[in-house]
Amino acid sequence: MNLRQVAGALAGGVGLVIGVLGAAVVIGVAIVALGIPDEVRADDAPAPTATAGARAPEELVVGLSLADPALQAGVVRGRDVILARGLEVEVARKLADRLGIARLRFVAVRPASRLLASRDAWDIALMSIDSPRAPAAVDITMPYLATDQALIVRRGLEPPGTRARLRTLQLCAVKRTAGAQAAAAVGADRTALRAPNVDRLLQLVQTGACDVAVVDAIKAGRLVEGKRSLLGPVSGRLLHGSGQVVVVSRNSGLDPRRVDRAVNRLRVNGTLSKLARFWLGVDPAALRVVR
Amino acid sequence: MKEFGPTPSNGQRVMRYLAALAAVAALALGVATSAGAAERVTRADVWFVKQGKPFAVKRSVAGVAGAMRALLAGPTPRERARGVTTAIPSKTPLLRAEVAHRIVTIDVGGRFAMGLDAGSLTARVGQLVRTARALPGVKAVKVRVEGGVPIGLFPGYDLSRPVLKPYVPERPAAPSLRETQQLLSDLGFMAQSGVTGSPDGQTSNAVLAFQKWARLSRDGSLTTEVSEMIARSTRPQPAFRKPGHRIEVHLGRQLALLIDHNRVTRLVHISSGAGGATPRGAFHVFRKERYSWSVPFKVWLPWASYFVGGVAFHEFGSVPTYAASHGCVRVNHYDAPMLYEFATHGTPVDVFWEPGA
Repeated sequence: MNLRQVAGALAGGVGLVIGVLGAAVVIGVAIVALGIPDEVRADDAPAPTATAGARAPEELVVGLSLADPALQAGVVRGRDVILARGLEVEVARKLADRLGIARLRFVAVRPASRLLASRDAWDIALMSIDSPRAPAAVDITMPYLATDQALIVRRGLEPPGTRARLRTLQLCAVKRTAGAQAAAAVGADRTALRAPNVDRLLQLVQTGACDVAVVDAIKAGRLVEGKRSLLGPVSGRLLHGSGQVVVVSRNSGLDPRRVDRAVNRLRVNGTLSKLARFWLGVDPAALRVVR
Repeated sequence: MKEFGPTPSNGQRVMRYLAALAAVAALALGVATSAGAAERVTRADVWFVKQGKPFAVKRSVAGVAGAMRALLAGPTPRERARGVTTAIPSKTPLLRAEVAHRIVTIDVGGRFAMGLDAGSLTARVGQLVRTARALPGVKAVKVRVEGGVPIGLFPGYDLSRPVLKPYVPERPAAPSLRETQQLLSDLGFMAQSGVTGSPDGQTSNAVLAFQKWARLSRDGSLTTEVSEMIARSTRPQPAFRKPGHRIEVHLGRQLALLIDHNRVTRLVHISSGAGGATPRGAFHVFRKERYSWSVPFKVWLPWASYFVGGVAFHEFGSVPTYAASHGCVRVNHYDAPMLYEFATHGTPVDVFWEPGA
C-alpha cells in the first residue's frame, strides 16, 4: 500500500467516523426531544453536555470566595484564581468531569458575602447554607456535604450513641454559635457550658470539665488534629440542617437537575467522602447521627 | 506634515529641550544609583532552616535578585551535611525581584505553593521574608506567585499586603495564676471557689494534689514548669471501672479520688496511716459524725466518715505530703466538708496501692 492508498483509506475511515457520530448526535437529540426519563441513563457515565433549551457551557466558571483555606485557597491574578486548591476546588473539578465540561476556570469574589450578588460572573459556586430554600436568581443542589454539628468527646469517655445518653453528659460549645444552639436543643440535665472561644472550649474538653463539645462538623477534624493525646475522637453529629451546596447561576445555561445528579453520583461513589477526609480530617457525613 | 495648534517660539523650544534633557539625565542617574545599589555584591544573610528553626548563612549576593537566587538555590551540599535544609521546593523559579519605595516584590513560580504541610508552607514564606528583610534598606516584602496574590495558601500570612516581618507561630504564653487556678478546678484538683487570681493556701493544696498525681516532687509551689504541665494535662481517670458514686484511696500517691459514674469529680490531697496502718480493701462508709471524739487519741475529729473499724476520713490540722496518721485518712480544711458531703452512708471506698507506686 502506497502513501496515496493509505491517505485514501484514512479519508474513508474519517468519513465513516463522522457518519457514525452524526447518527449518534441525531439519535441523542431525538432522545432528548422525546423526553426519555433521566433514570434510564446510565448513572455512572458522565451526563451529556447539551440539554434542550439550555446553553451547554464549554467552560465552567466557578466562583470562589477563598474564605476557608481547607475549602478554597489559591493565587488570584486579576479576577482569576490561577492556582486553586481545597475541598471545594476539587469538588468543582469532579463536577466538571461528570458534566462533561473540559474547561474549568475559577474566579475570585471577595468578600464571601458578595458571592451571590455577583452571580453573573460565575456558573457555579460552592458554599454553606443553613436553609433548604434557594436565594433569588440561583438554584441550589442537594448538599454535597451534610455538615451539621459534630461532637468531640473527652478522652476516656465512651462516645454517646443516643440523645438520651447525651442528656446525662456535660455539654459545651462556643457561645453565640450554631453549636451553642444545638447543645441547648439537646435538653441536657446540666446547662451547657459556653466557652468564649475555641481554645477555651478545647481546654474544657481536655480537662474533663466538659464531656462533649458541640462544634461545626466541617471544622471538627481540624480542631482535634495534633491533639489526639489530649482529646477524644470526633464521634457523632447532631442534625442541624446545615450543609455545603452547589449554587447554580440561572444565567449559566446549566440544568440544575443535572448538577444535582452529578453531585449525588459523587456522593454515592465515595468521591466526596474521600475528599472530605483528605481536606477536613473527617468526613462529616460519615459521622453517626445521634438521635 | 503640518502641525496643528500654535507654533512654539524659539525660546519655548529651547526650554522644552532643556527640560527633556534634565528629565533624561535625572532618570539615568536614578537608574544608575538604584542599579548600583541593587547589583553591588555584598555579604548578606540568606535564611534556611535547621532543626525546624530559621537559620542564616552568609552569601555574596548582588542585590535583591541575587539574594533570592541564592535562597532558591538552597543550601550547599556541605551545609546540607550540617543539617541545613530549606522549605522551598527545589527548582522554584524566580520570576521577578524588584525594589520600589523600600518594598521588595518577589514573584516566584507556582512550585513555591506546592505541598499541603502547613509548617512547610509557613516556613518557606518566612525564609523569603527574612532573606529580603536582611538586605539593607528593605522595609517590607510583597510575595507574589506567578504574578498573582496568594490567598489562604500560606498559614499565618496575609499576602494581600506587604509583609513587614516573618510570622512566628505564637508560642502559648505561660498561663496566668487565674488561668492555672481555673485549669486546676477544671481538672478536679480544686473547687471553682478557689479561682481567685491570688496565691493562697487553697491553690497550694491543689498544686500539691496535682504534683502527687503527676508524680512530681511534692512542695505545693506553682513553678512555670508545673503551670505548663497543668496546661497539658487531661482529667485523671479512676483505677477501676465501676458504676456509681464511690471513692478510691490511692495509698502510693496519697490521694483520694471522688468518682461519679467513672468520672473523677475531685482529687483530694490526703495523708493516710504511716507504715501501712490504713487497711487495704473494699469498704463502705458506715458511720458519719460531724464531730467525732477519738477515744484512743483524745482528740476531736471534724467531718468524720468511717469506712472500716475506727478508720475514717476526717479533717486534721496537719496533712503532710506523706503517710503520717495512726490509720485514718487525714484531709485538710479546704476539702473536708466537701468530702464529708460526698461520702454518704454506703459509699464504696476502695483502698489500695496503685500499680507502680
